[in-house]
Amino acid sequence: MNPQHHLDPATLVSFASGALGEAMVAVAATHLVGCRRCRALLRDADDIGGRLLAQQQPDRNRQGRFEVLRKAMSERLDGVPLETSPQPKPENVLSVVPEDHLPEPLHRYFGTTYSGLRWRWVAPGVRLIRADNARAGSLIMLKIAPGKSLPTHGHGGTELTQVLRGAYDDRLGHFAPGDMADLDSEVEHQPVTIPGVPCVCVAALEAPLRFRGWLARKLQPLVGL
Amino acid sequence: MHSGYPAWEHSPFEALRAVSPASAQEKDVLYWAREMDAVATRRDRTSFMRIYDHFQPRVQRYLENVGAPEMVAEELAQEALLRLWQRAGSYDNARSSLGTWLFRIARNLQIDRVRREPHWVNVQDALEQLDEFENPGEASATEAVAAHCDLAGRVEKLPAIQARLIRMSYFEGKTHREISDEIDMPLGTVKSNLRRALLRLQVQVRGRP
Repeated sequence: MNPQHHLDPATLVSFASGALGEAMVAVAATHLVGCRRCRALLRDADDIGGRLLAQQQPDRNRQGRFEVLRKAMSERLDGVPLETSPQPKPENVLSVVPEDHLPEPLHRYFGTTYSGLRWRWVAPGVRLIRADNARAGSLIMLKIAPGKSLPTHGHGGTELTQVLRGAYDDRLGHFAPGDMADLDSEVEHQPVTIPGVPCVCVAALEAPLRFRGWLARKLQPLVGL
Repeated sequence: MHSGYPAWEHSPFEALRAVSPASAQEKDVLYWAREMDAVATRRDRTSFMRIYDHFQPRVQRYLENVGAPEMVAEELAQEALLRLWQRAGSYDNARSSLGTWLFRIARNLQIDRVRREPHWVNVQDALEQLDEFENPGEASATEAVAAHCDLAGRVEKLPAIQARLIRMSYFEGKTHREISDEIDMPLGTVKSNLRRALLRLQVQVRGRP
């Protein structure tokens, strides 16, 4: 797999900073496990986070509390077991899994195999599965019949679409397995699937705004917002 | 991994320091790499406590910024530093600076424990394993350290608006849409600024001779 269409670097900044909702993370990660180029850029985005963390100025008013924490940490060091780095598990790596296996970031939402998917008819030539357990945004899989032209459409918010099988063409180019369409709300397009095989995609739509402010911050650890 | 260098004074960090006058950033990265090496190879508690003294308040502050209440941030910062002690052997200075390594640990803890999104840790594990397969031999530790230092300098020189959007992303955990609403900037402009910021840093790092 050698993707020709990639994640927007702005999306990678959100991924690295933890600002993407669960549905978007699932689709972005599906692309990342198959795209070395985007993984390299993600490492750079993580580096920005590391640099910003290092730049933080400690709060000098907390010196007393810090001494307490420091002592507690020092006392904990002897009691903890050391961890060796876990051996890479080949079954977790997309490139070596058998043909029927779904990419690992999708297992939690759609199961582990293509053959186990339970498609629902939504329109002639279009089948869909909606993941009901992705907590932020909507996460769907689409199967579109070969040689089918979808109506021209725009998107309410940002949408990420990763092609898993088959392919489609639109005015943005040819999208084959491994390719990512990272689309703005302004983009309108009319995908046409290639003849021969159905096109299977996974797509995430941006979540509604998260509630912010002091109350949400107090509630977050209690209700797991 | 440090195992190829039985004593740290023979490591590429020394070599780098020997051939080029170290910038403040290089000194910083080299200093922490050396302390981490002492923790990993000798279980050196003094080195660990130096790392703790420097990074614990910064990690805690980061966690509070992204929404963890004070007591939770305190607990997670302790856990992040304890993980550093436990997993020092798996820290690879060629792959990331110590700040980046701790940033990832703290971010992952926050998403797992405060936001309660267990999928995130699975995704991170899968990506890390892929990194382990492809990274060895890609760049020498010396080049990697130089790249981290370079990036550190570039982050500080970002144009003001890009720096602001980068901070809102990393330190307030805001989505593009939330940034757009908060500072009344069109969504497309938010994205293009963040895109330019990352590509600018990336080009500088990878464009090194």
